[in-house]
Amino acid sequence: MSRGRKVSNAVLKRRSDVMTSPGAQGGGALATRGGATAKRMKWALELSLGNSSRNRGDRQSKDGDVMYPVGYSDKPVPDTSVQEADRNLVEKRCWDVALGPLKQIPMNLFIMYMSGNTISIFPIMMVCMMAWRPIQALMSMSATFKLLESSSQQWLQGLVYLVGNLLGSALAIYKCQSMGLLPTHSSDWLAFIEPPQRLEIMGGGMVM
Amino acid sequence: MAWLVVRLAISVSLLYTASAVFEDQVGKFDWRQQFIGKVRFALFDTHSQASKKLLVATDKNVFASLNSRTGDLFWRHVDKTGPEGHIDVLLMYGQDAVVVVGNGRLLRSWETTVGGLKWETVLDTGSFQAATLVGVQDYVKHVAVLKKSAISLHDLSSGSQIWVENLPDSDTVQYQTIYSGGNGLVFVLGVVPNSHIVIVEYKIEDGEIMNKKSVEAAWMSSLENSCTVISSGILLCADQITQSLYTLPLQSAEQKEMRQIHLQTLDLEVASGFQPVLTSTRPNPAQPPLSEFFLQLSPDHHILLQLKDGLIAPLRDFNPSYLAAFATSGERTVAAVMSPKNDTACSINLFSADTGRRHLDTTIIYHMDPNGGKPNRLYVHAFLKKDDSVGYRVMVQTEDHTLTFLQQPGRVVWMREEALADVVTMEMVDLPFTGTQAELEGEFGKKADGLLPMVLKRLSSQFILLQAWLAHLWKLFYDARKPRSSVKNEVTIDILSRDEFNLQKMMVMVTASGKLFGIDSKSGTILWKQYLENIQPNSVFKLIVQRTTAHFPHPPQCTLLIKDKDTGLGSLYVFNPIFGKKSQISVPALPRPVLQTLLLPVIDQDYAKVLLLIDDQYKVTAFPSTKNVLQQLQDTASSIFFYLVDSSQGKLSGFRLRKDLSTELIWEVVIPAEVQKIVAVKGKRANEHVHSQGRVMGDRSVLYKYLNPNLLAVITESTDTHQERSFVGIFLIDGVTGRIVHEAVQRKARGPVHFVHSENWVVYVYWNSKFRRNEFSVLELFEGAELYNSTVFSSLDRPHPPQVLQQSYIFPAPISTLEATLTEKGITSRHLLVGLPSGNILSLPKMFLDPRRPEVVSEQSREENLIPYAPEMPIREEWFINYNQTVSRVRGIYTAPSGLESTCLVVAYGLDIYQTRVFPSKQFDVLKDDYDYVLISSVLFGLFFATMISKRLAEVKLLNRAWR
Repeated sequence: MSRGRKVSNAVLKRRSDVMTSPGAQGGGALATRGGATAKRMKWALELSLGNSSRNRGDRQSKDGDVMYPVGYSDKPVPDTSVQEADRNLVEKRCWDVALGPLKQIPMNLFIMYMSGNTISIFPIMMVCMMAWRPIQALMSMSATFKLLESSSQQWLQGLVYLVGNLLGSALAIYKCQSMGLLPTHSSDWLAFIEPPQRLEIMGGGMVM
Repeated sequence: MAWLVVRLAISVSLLYTASAVFEDQVGKFDWRQQFIGKVRFALFDTHSQASKKLLVATDKNVFASLNSRTGDLFWRHVDKTGPEGHIDVLLMYGQDAVVVVGNGRLLRSWETTVGGLKWETVLDTGSFQAATLVGVQDYVKHVAVLKKSAISLHDLSSGSQIWVENLPDSDTVQYQTIYSGGNGLVFVLGVVPNSHIVIVEYKIEDGEIMNKKSVEAAWMSSLENSCTVISSGILLCADQITQSLYTLPLQSAEQKEMRQIHLQTLDLEVASGFQPVLTSTRPNPAQPPLSEFFLQLSPDHHILLQLKDGLIAPLRDFNPSYLAAFATSGERTVAAVMSPKNDTACSINLFSADTGRRHLDTTIIYHMDPNGGKPNRLYVHAFLKKDDSVGYRVMVQTEDHTLTFLQQPGRVVWMREEALADVVTMEMVDLPFTGTQAELEGEFGKKADGLLPMVLKRLSSQFILLQAWLAHLWKLFYDARKPRSSVKNEVTIDILSRDEFNLQKMMVMVTASGKLFGIDSKSGTILWKQYLENIQPNSVFKLIVQRTTAHFPHPPQCTLLIKDKDTGLGSLYVFNPIFGKKSQISVPALPRPVLQTLLLPVIDQDYAKVLLLIDDQYKVTAFPSTKNVLQQLQDTASSIFFYLVDSSQGKLSGFRLRKDLSTELIWEVVIPAEVQKIVAVKGKRANEHVHSQGRVMGDRSVLYKYLNPNLLAVITESTDTHQERSFVGIFLIDGVTGRIVHEAVQRKARGPVHFVHSENWVVYVYWNSKFRRNEFSVLELFEGAELYNSTVFSSLDRPHPPQVLQQSYIFPAPISTLEATLTEKGITSRHLLVGLPSGNILSLPKMFLDPRRPEVVSEQSREENLIPYAPEMPIREEWFINYNQTVSRVRGIYTAPSGLESTCLVVAYGLDIYQTRVFPSKQFDVLKDDYDYVLISSVLFGLFFATMISKRLAEVKLLNRAWR
């Protein structure tokens, strides 16, 4: 690809050189009039060859260039047809994408271990990030599938990607659980218990 | 190290429970009113012309000085309760006030300007009869105290006893009066009923008996009530049966019989059955009394008489007249007489004592309070005006213990409601909505009848709201123009309305004298009062709120059950607690003695809760008893239960209501009265809410509370009071089934027991006679890790007994009363309010009284925020909710929830009344008083403008960059 870009650059240069031939007077006039400002111009056309005093020296050496038509490149155009090596590359790339979430798990485990079980702002932020990333990834699953479209093992990769993300979110849930953030105990539902209705009405006291 | 940890934990836990009033919050939401009780003696300080002092001694054993211009207290001394502190007599001479206390136990002299004690002498034993100031040659130097069998003379300046003499024949003669005419002699007068009078004459210098004589008086039974000494030592007695006056010169040796003067000769007659009352006056205690005196012939007939040369002549007849009193200013003695003017007013006039002539322009009109009692005492303060005429002010005391101070021509200078010194029971009632609030509220109550009328209704009510708002704005504008001083924010019933958070309520107070008061809880202003006549002194009161203000347009309704202890008969008084007006509702007649009452949650069609009264035949009367109510009662009868506790027999019995409003006995528990006596029984408060049904443990499991609404806490004390064998027992009994859920005994403990029963806990305080200290004990009941039935609670279906936890603590102070805070939803943590005898009210977090406090700190207990167990309970001064506003003799604390969950309203009553708010978990639902609105809003506005400006700047910059 980089090669192709080089080619077009070269073409452009040529073209600008060719365009310089007519009306150099104006340009020259412009350049001479401005004096100091002429150098600061963003672009300039050189319409006449050889008249230019600036780079006459190097122009002279490439005199033959003038003869080429617009868009002509003297270098060979690269072969853009897909080859076997590229296919492997794509495959590899797709596996990279699919295995990404799984690769993060050891890192996450380490972070989990480091942040501890106390409830404070940093562990909470970590947990939030850990929980949010897989969810985000799962939500943009279709985009990832599109990315994997070119791969032959698309379905397998998708499955691996899914499993990786699920594992990540499970890890986050486990972390929440160990931090005590999940309402898994009966005490977490205590506030919702309504006071029981009394069936008997009772009253009285000491004999007045 | 362990101790350090424990202490650290305690101090950390204290850190967030500590709460006290800030200096600038003093008086912001709390107030105190000080009372003295029913006045028995009142003396005006006539020592100097400008003196404003009024000395009073009351039946509450209070000796105080009032400012006669404002009615405020200068100082007050509260003595012991009961006969030990009883004030027998109050004498005043110059700057000194001499008081005999405790049936002749102590003789005290007080300095009246600052109320300092000058001296105190312990008197010899013997029941007190009389005391008098003894003067010699126009100067009072001694005070003589007469006991049943002895007389003693004390020096007035030091209190030292000069002499004490035994009285002759004190076993047969009842010595009752003492008199000294300022001539070096003290006369002691005794009587042998229906036989003769004994007069003993003592010499002041050494107590030598100078003379002793007895005079025949077969008609006389008591000297005290019927006799007085007038003129230069002449004993004057009145007798109703013989319709005569009797005179006897005390000093004459030869006269052996009293001289009889028939009232008929004076054209007078004593009303039948009325003991005539003689009133004499003695302007200077060092000199003999005046020869003029009042004779009261009937409750409304007085006559001013004069003794001259042994003859009695009437000076002026006051018929009708309620009260008469003498007063002296300088050399002139006047008599003030209160006569009825019309049905609602009395006129008080001044007469000169020596001639009986009326002073011109001295009328004071006294308007009798239609809701008050009749006047029964008159105290007169006479003074000389600049033009040398006599002016006067009067203090009228009425049957309902009210003191009214009046000046000419009838302006009430001040008024004291001394009935409030003896509050028996009270309730707090929500104030009604204002008209506009009620209008909005009413809209939801109205029946919907189509879309258009609904819209119109809404529009009309919003128009009314708009109108009210405009009127409010106009009033604000109008008030703002007036000078600040003229805008009085007096509270009247008409402008009274519920505030935003329902923090202002009506306090309905019932006093022992039978006077009811409606007091605004915010300011302490008395908004209405109602005196119920013919209330026996030992009546029992029970105040019930039948309908709150929530049922507009039905007025709120309170019912007072008054039970006469002697006859056992009760009566109902139904009134509107906001306006104090008696309700027109017909009240059921109660022909049989009422044993107990029960307020049902059942309501009649007018939203009044049904009150059941159970009589001594265990028959039930319903009030109100409309057809609707009776129908509802029939439907629910099988689930209505009574319990009655008979302390004398030690019997607790439970009854079930039958459909025909009779009852059947279903259980009986007998606690043998020979061994232990039932002292008190308490159920739970009906308006208590428990938010959390359990407690969260350290492992995040739940320990469910045993919340039995029918549970009763019964406290017993042993009849054996020996300190080794005495005990205090507590029984937790289910009031429906009679099942004893738990019982505990504190050995070597003694009452008085104060206790609180709430939620799933009982806290009680007793005296530990072994270690000689007060101890708190707390019982908590739990169901365990699972609820048996989470939807309904029935006492009849409880197979598992609860788990009971108990812990005790040492409390380093005696206790007068105990109560727990109460909030709207029961989310806020609870505090115990402990009334101390010092007059302080301690707000003790319930957290300290938790039987789960561990002895050894563990991870789990720390997780639960349990304070490690420490036997001593702390008392911290910042927990005193009434800082220095002590409540004398605090007898009860009333707590009521407010509209704010964080806030609980507290009223402590005793001799004084103190009202405040407490925030057991701090004010988590409102902004603090000192919230910096200015700072926050200026920061907010500053940020807003900064954002605007920087946005604009950023736009300009972007544009410039685009142009470049």
